[in-house]
Amino acid sequence: MLIWFLPVFLVFLLAGLPVFFGLLFAPGILLWLAGQERDLVLLYRNVYNGMDSFPLMAIPFFMLAGELMNKGGITLRLVEFSQALMGHFRGGLAHVNVLSSMLFAGLSGSAVADTSALGSMLIPAMEKQGYTRRFAAAITAASSVIGPIIPPSGIMIIYAYVMGESVAALFLAGIVPGVLVGLGLMAVVKVMADRYDFPVATRKQTWGERGRASLRAFFPLLTPVIIMGGILLGIFTPTEAAAVAVAYALFIGLFVMRTLKLSEIPEVLSRAAITSAVVLLLVGAAMAFKTVVSLSHAPEMMAAFILSLTDNPLILLFLINLLLFAVGMFLDAGPAIIILGPILGPVFVGMGVDPIHFAIIMSVNLTVGLATPPMGLVLFVASSVSGEKVETISRAILPFLAVEILMIFLITYIPAISMTVPRLTGFAD
Amino acid sequence: MGILRALLVPFQAFNDAVLPVGRWVAIVAVALMVAVTLVQVFARYVLNSALPWPDEAARFMMLWMTGLMAPVAYRRGGFVAIDMLPRALPPAAAAALSLVLLAIAGVVLAFAVRIGWAEVTGFGGQFATASLYLPLPDGWFRIPRSWMMAAFLLGMVLLLIVNIELILRALLSLGGARDLKPLEAPPDEIMAE
Amino acid sequence: QEYTLRATANSNEQDEDYDGLIVFKDYVERASNGQIAVELFIGTQLCSNGAECLQGVADGSIDIFIATSGGASGIFPFIQVLDLPYLMDNDRVAEGVLENGSPFVTTMQDMVSETSGDQIKLMTIGNTGGWRNFANTERRIQTPADLEGLKIRTVVADLPQELVKAMGASPTPIPWPELFTSFQTGVVEGTQNGITDIMGMKFPDAGLKYITLDGHSYMGALWFMNAEAFRSMPEDLQQVVSDGFYQLQQATFASPKRKSIDAYREFAEAGGDVYTPSAEEKQAFKDAAAPVYDWFKQNVEGGEEAYDALTRTVEQVTHEIDTSRAQLMK
Ligand code: NA
Ligand code: NA
Repeated sequence: MLIWFLPVFLVFLLAGLPVFFGLLFAPGILLWLAGQERDLVLLYRNVYNGMDSFPLMAIPFFMLAGELMNKGGITLRLVEFSQALMGHFRGGLAHVNVLSSMLFAGLSGSAVADTSALGSMLIPAMEKQGYTRRFAAAITAASSVIGPIIPPSGIMIIYAYVMGESVAALFLAGIVPGVLVGLGLMAVVKVMADRYDFPVATRKQTWGERGRASLRAFFPLLTPVIIMGGILLGIFTPTEAAAVAVAYALFIGLFVMRTLKLSEIPEVLSRAAITSAVVLLLVGAAMAFKTVVSLSHAPEMMAAFILSLTDNPLILLFLINLLLFAVGMFLDAGPAIIILGPILGPVFVGMGVDPIHFAIIMSVNLTVGLATPPMGLVLFVASSVSGEKVETISRAILPFLAVEILMIFLITYIPAISMTVPRLTGFAD
Repeated sequence: MGILRALLVPFQAFNDAVLPVGRWVAIVAVALMVAVTLVQVFARYVLNSALPWPDEAARFMMLWMTGLMAPVAYRRGGFVAIDMLPRALPPAAAAALSLVLLAIAGVVLAFAVRIGWAEVTGFGGQFATASLYLPLPDGWFRIPRSWMMAAFLLGMVLLLIVNIELILRALLSLGGARDLKPLEAPPDEIMAE
Repeated sequence: QEYTLRATANSNEQDEDYDGLIVFKDYVERASNGQIAVELFIGTQLCSNGAECLQGVADGSIDIFIATSGGASGIFPFIQVLDLPYLMDNDRVAEGVLENGSPFVTTMQDMVSETSGDQIKLMTIGNTGGWRNFANTERRIQTPADLEGLKIRTVVADLPQELVKAMGASPTPIPWPELFTSFQTGVVEGTQNGITDIMGMKFPDAGLKYITLDGHSYMGALWFMNAEAFRSMPEDLQQVVSDGFYQLQQATFASPKRKSIDAYREFAEAGGDVYTPSAEEKQAFKDAAAPVYDWFKQNVEGGEEAYDALTRTVEQVTHEIDTSRAQLMK
């Protein structure tokens, strides 16, 4: 009986029920029909307890840090810095768009924040230089998925929380894959730029100009160094690092760059709070959903089913990538990780895949799903930022998606891409 | 229609008045979350003497932030949903569908409020928090866990009230009303998402 | 079957809690001739900490749950008497004290029933993880002075923090899932855990290197059951369940001893340093911990009663053990 929770959930989800209610309604109605009313209490309780967690606090903190950086004009400085480095290439602003996302990723844990912050700045600029709006929106959306791959990362915080992995290890493991996705996108831009004769943004900058741009971007670029350095040196835990990032953003916004006004802060707090409240409720509901999943013995059945397909881990990883990709098209990365992580993780770890490597496979795959039609969240954000229709952006993004899928397979089949940094720093064996 | 409008007034007035207060409390809660976490880093790393309470205090704030902000987000249409089908349907069918979905949400919320009340007032609420005390004239008062659990219950109650307002609005627009007050965020606080 | 008991432990299948549950399940299902089925939920699927799980036990959404004293302390603060350091000398004493029917266990059972308004029964007290020892990443600890200034991880609860403070170290609350990373990065330098948990979490990989076998407290495992679920059974089945908990307790007494042999070997192979303090050194630890006893009696609700019951029973059991030793040695 309970095993129907997944189809029921999907039906209501596709009908447009908010995910939060769907996660509770589908298992709830089945429990009720089965006469297991005492378990409805369990469902409620696990939403509450799922949210009552110290590590989850990193989600509002990093959101807040990102908001503060944006308000404080830090995003602008990152873009200027990128422009000084790459503006003179053919397709300069497209390269700048990708590079800015890679830099922004070091400050922010969210692809959506990346799209809205960089998109509102770069899409109009690109249009002015003669790029089509759909192309500008597509490259913005495609590159924003780097945000949660390069640390800090909201998705990896959630993964670590649900699966009991080390946040620091996951953060470290995401660095190279994130850079790799960025380089892949730049390669696509280069090919297209040569073929379609994209404009250059600026003349080549002198080293003096580059130096000045670097200086102006120095404090913002220090953020990831402070976050990762503080974690690695034992000054603070990953969760506390997120609070430190907030303090740092406040400090440079108010005192160093003086672009942030005290009166703007409540509004920034409000936005971060409202966004995190929605995410936290979802995490709680997904934890409750997970409870019913385990009551239904679905994980065991799913694992048995997966293993019955083939016992070749390479083929299974391929299949899992297909599955995750399909899921990512419809579901947000956070809820998808909470629901599927506990089902899939143990199966692959049991076959000898390193838990950290699997975490990266899953996170990158689902993150790319954020930019995948039809339901990718960042496509919608890119659409609202640019005024271009989602359908149009969805078509324009295809070449970038192709290279991101290629990167997913590289990351899947070459563990060293994820594992080298955590191994070198002693965070993985 | 007249009855529906009359019904909508108190709910709309309540949400207009109460949710902004909750929003301000949540804003303070977020600021405090950051502050106590930084206090802990300072105490542990600089003073080499960690404090017992910041971890739990920060979680306390986070739960209240969530409970008070979630209704604000819901009222503004900020809950994540797949709206492919509603957008593909003709307007009348879409309105009927949204009414069904709101009804489902209402059932979930009604159950949540009922269970939540039992939880807060029941055994689980009697647990003491591990480290939170309030200074009272006659000594330290240990904060019970029910004060934390109440945040989520209140959130569910406010969500339910918002949901009723949304149902009334859906009924009214199904009946042809076109003059309902817009509920989107004011332009100066567009959501980050 | 007529009765289904839903049992949960927040640990994993390598833990002694699981060993106990397997024995319980096997015994109860067999001895009841299939009238009782036991469903096991290992991990945090149903609930993930003491407060949540005990709430579940109280309202019957969970029938059986094992809590540590820290996990249960939010509602049964007196139970932390088990965390008071150096009150019981060794396994033999502890197992005697925790025998069902001993004055101590009876007192605890009565206090649990009373505090929970008769919703929760304390069925038995077993062991989970052996004894707590001081372990750290920095240096060998021979006397309390060596602990001076070390940042020791504790759970968020008063008593363990008082103990660490009494030893001159700095108590640092770190959530269990963040502990591994915190050792790696040096956010904390030490912990108080049993060897099986230390090896289970692979802490030596994070730099944990020194263990001092001061055995400051016995890691009691409190097995709670929903009172209504128990009472609703006919007497013969209640007897089966009671005996099942006896079997479970014996299994959890034995399991950590067996498991710790391998765990200590692995720890040594990983370059770990295991130090056994001499009798004088152990006395020094005990002396340093003295303020904690008074703190407990004065600040913890029901503390005085629990402390008296424990010390009285320890005396009685020690006497019995001496007598039986003398019988063999005469
Ligand atoms: Na990031
Ligand atoms: Na970008």
